[in-house]
Amino acid sequence: MYSKQILSLLKKKGIEIGDEVRLDSPKGAFIGLLMPRPEGAEGTFVIKLPNGYNLGIDAKGAELSLVKKSQPAKPHGAEPKDRGEIAIIGCGGTIASKVEYRTGAVYPAISPREMRNAFPDVDRIATIHTRQLFELFSEDMAAPHWAILAKAIAEEVKDGAKGVVVMHGTDTMSYTSAAISFMLQGLPVPVVLTGAQRSSDRPSSDNRLNLLNSVFAAKQDLGEVGVCMHAGPSDDICHLHRGTRVRKMHSSRRDAFKSINSPPIAVLDYRSSVFKPLTQYKKRSAPGSLRLEAKISDNVALIQVHPNIKPKFIASLSSYDGVVLMATGLGHIPTNPFNDKHATQIFPAVSELIESGIPVVLAPQTIYGRLNLKVYTNGRLLLDAGVIGDGMDWTPECAYVKLCWVLGQAKDMKKVKQLMETDLAGEIGIRSPLEVD
Amino acid sequence: MVKIGLEIHQRLACGKLFCACPSDLAEPEAKPDLVIRRRLHPVLSEMGEIDEASKAEFGKGRTFAYHAFRSSNCLVEIDEEPPHNINPDALAIALELAQHLDMKTVDELHIMRKMVIDGSNTSGFQRTAIAAFDGRLETSQGPIGIPLLAVEEESAGIVGSEGSESAYRLDRLGIPLVEITTTPDIKSPEHLLEVAEKIGMLMRATGKVARGLGTIRQDVNISTERGARVEIKGAQDLKMLPLLAQNEVKRQDGLIAIMDELRTRFKGKVILNCMPVDVTDALASTKSPLISKGLASGASVFGLVLEKHAGLIGREIQPGRRYGTELSDYAKTAGVKGIIHSDEDMAKYSITGEEAAALRQSLGMKQGDAFVLVVAPAEQAKAALAKALERAKMDFIPAETRRANQDGTTSYMRPLPGKARLYPETDVPPVRITKELLASVSKGEGLEDKKARLLKLLGNAEMADRMLRSRNLALFEGLVKDGADPTLVANTLESTLVSLRREGAEVRDPNAMLPGLFALHAKGAFVKAAIPDILREIAGGKALADAVKDYSIISGKELEKIAKELGFDMKAIMSKYRTRIDPKELESILRKKKQENKE
Repeated sequence: MYSKQILSLLKKKGIEIGDEVRLDSPKGAFIGLLMPRPEGAEGTFVIKLPNGYNLGIDAKGAELSLVKKSQPAKPHGAEPKDRGEIAIIGCGGTIASKVEYRTGAVYPAISPREMRNAFPDVDRIATIHTRQLFELFSEDMAAPHWAILAKAIAEEVKDGAKGVVVMHGTDTMSYTSAAISFMLQGLPVPVVLTGAQRSSDRPSSDNRLNLLNSVFAAKQDLGEVGVCMHAGPSDDICHLHRGTRVRKMHSSRRDAFKSINSPPIAVLDYRSSVFKPLTQYKKRSAPGSLRLEAKISDNVALIQVHPNIKPKFIASLSSYDGVVLMATGLGHIPTNPFNDKHATQIFPAVSELIESGIPVVLAPQTIYGRLNLKVYTNGRLLLDAGVIGDGMDWTPECAYVKLCWVLGQAKDMKKVKQLMETDLAGEIGIRSPLEVD
Repeated sequence: MVKIGLEIHQRLACGKLFCACPSDLAEPEAKPDLVIRRRLHPVLSEMGEIDEASKAEFGKGRTFAYHAFRSSNCLVEIDEEPPHNINPDALAIALELAQHLDMKTVDELHIMRKMVIDGSNTSGFQRTAIAAFDGRLETSQGPIGIPLLAVEEESAGIVGSEGSESAYRLDRLGIPLVEITTTPDIKSPEHLLEVAEKIGMLMRATGKVARGLGTIRQDVNISTERGARVEIKGAQDLKMLPLLAQNEVKRQDGLIAIMDELRTRFKGKVILNCMPVDVTDALASTKSPLISKGLASGASVFGLVLEKHAGLIGREIQPGRRYGTELSDYAKTAGVKGIIHSDEDMAKYSITGEEAAALRQSLGMKQGDAFVLVVAPAEQAKAALAKALERAKMDFIPAETRRANQDGTTSYMRPLPGKARLYPETDVPPVRITKELLASVSKGEGLEDKKARLLKLLGNAEMADRMLRSRNLALFEGLVKDGADPTLVANTLESTLVSLRREGAEVRDPNAMLPGLFALHAKGAFVKAAIPDILREIAGGKALADAVKDYSIISGKELEKIAKELGFDMKAIMSKYRTRIDPKELESILRKKKQENKE
């Protein structure tokens, strides 16, 4: 932002961001558009020159005058009311972010309508209609949003959508995909989440391939929640991952999303109409069989166990309704069975949480692999204390979301344990695949 | 009135601009470690609309194969990771160059994205930022304005195109460049060469810009009064610039003459109402190898009548290039190899007189008309002729980006882009150009200072000028700084190495080897006359230590002995032991002897 001084000067002279101005500075005269300054030195004017370049010139000693007022941007018309076979729901995120040139900020604000304008190919795959639900970065998505989204999807299905695509920020997409996997049971249509790792304001964005393949996936005979993203660094094929199995495994690559401990559902290539299954999946349930179970607790903690973790910290988790511990190795936490004088143990603190009625669920911090609490003493102690998760191969995020959702359904510890350890949406596998990736 | 301006792109001698990769190129023959395939597509403008020009370009459905190399690429170049902060070394060099050009610097650097639609950048844009403006350069014809110095990233180098795919190497992508633009005040083609040379030398004098083939590129902007502005890209050799400029003026003059002639023939406005016609039947049984081969592979022959154009299509407008070549360049953008036109000798293609007559008939041609033919699959042939017609219909000189050819002529590349489409690079915040930063940028020696110092060092204007222009300047400076004799170093670099190379004894890596050689010379390991022989042995594969073994200096008693054996005859001694003897010592021995004889 510009300084208060500059802002009041602009007001006095009737100059607004976007206007054509003349800046007479000690370094010379510049004529160009006055640009916004979302960051950086607030006492420096940003001018867009006629050749398109922006440059910054200090306001000190410079005189600004108005040359020409800018033309206000044309407002967009209302979203057309026509319904298509596929509903596209916008939640924000990189797939739908753009630079607001008048303010210079990046907004998660491209409406699905703009997406359709940008990707006319969509119409070749399916007829669509669009709905902007949130304008959020994915890190701001929380349990209440998951419930609102699940309800919106259920409405679309009720209104006749043959498939649903959700545009979502990638950072927490796997939490949302897991949540709606539990909330939407007996799905008669595919629900496909997608996003982009490279912003949509660049010609190389992955949003196009991801979106088009998602629409294509939403037409398949599939009754599950999936995540559709690039399978590799090339713009050729996408993977459709199971909503409860997927995890973002890289901060920036296009192929950041991987199915953990399970193959992706399918390989997708809309260009050649390829939907190649890589594992078994649920077909569409009969129309009318959708059950919405959107009740969810947002009072659950997800904690990574680490060397030096303090019992006091574990005890402080007693204000939560449930705790997921990302345990080491096969499912371990510091128990200090050999009474080493430098070691501390958190086992008693964990036991106390469980005794006080707070379910404690384990998940592997190795991400890949299955928990097994019977191999070492440490695990057996935990098992005896009543932790949940022995034998599970779920991701920490999925275990976390599932506990949130289960606590929305049941309070009784026995019922919670039973629900947690039952496969509800493909989140638990009983066979470990030969390959990791 | 011809207006000539220059745009110089110079690679900087430092790491890449927006990541930590080195600016080293992989070996030309190196196999890529990773090949990825991408597509680019238009993006929404600030108004939420798609730019029509980029939509047309991206709409071609092209794919791009990017060849990446572990040694010179990371995730940033393959657009799998956001750019890092701007390389401060590159920024410092750009600011130093700006000082040498008397430019004013921006208070804040804003990095922009310049749309690049040909796939030469994985992101679909080139990052560029204005660092300085309003500079000047003194020349023999008065000062020339330097309105802009931008720091930007190098594009990827094209490997080739096949069908709808183009392949690019990514080792070059992201190397820092400065772009320096002059005002269009260059007076003549000769003046152009002077300005280009001077800016080049000025940059090299800093020792902070890259050297070698492809590290500097000069684009020339030329506009003529009745013609148009044309940007000529890709001149590798500076000496080509005057010829390029002359030929461009010739081309525009030639085109204007053709345009005037057509207006006379049409008695006013030139109006072409014609469509590509399938003339395959007229040539179905031709013996013309070009056509029959095409027909056998399923191609068709399409023709286009250009009314009242007879004699003009074959008219030369640049050496070896006719108006027809211009039409052909446009047709080639549709992927065909070229055109055949009626001002050519049909015998060249083994098209008989009867066939030509049949052709004229099926095209419905009248006296004074001309034709253009294309042999290609039907759709492509029609598209190619449509492009040729688009050019023929232009009743003006089109503003174009043209490629410099080896012979000093130019070929059409694409229309000159309109106002460059730039938008902010949101991944990299603006950079404050502080007083401290400017103060820390050492304005090294300027060109004039350097000239004067070299003259003082070498005492010879010709050698000083040669050194100033030499690609070995930085090596020279380093060796002299380490204490070597300037004249000896200059002679070794500019004369000895060159003549050794001519006789086939090329010293591979002088930068690595010469410091050791001159250090040994300074220690008295050999005399300077031995240097060519030692270098010859090194070129032959010997290590430095082995190469100098046979050249240890003969002195003292041993030298006196040899002098005696050869009768104290200077000439005889030197002719036998030239590379082993310090002439000064020998002289003193001979002087002593003479003295003795006198006594």
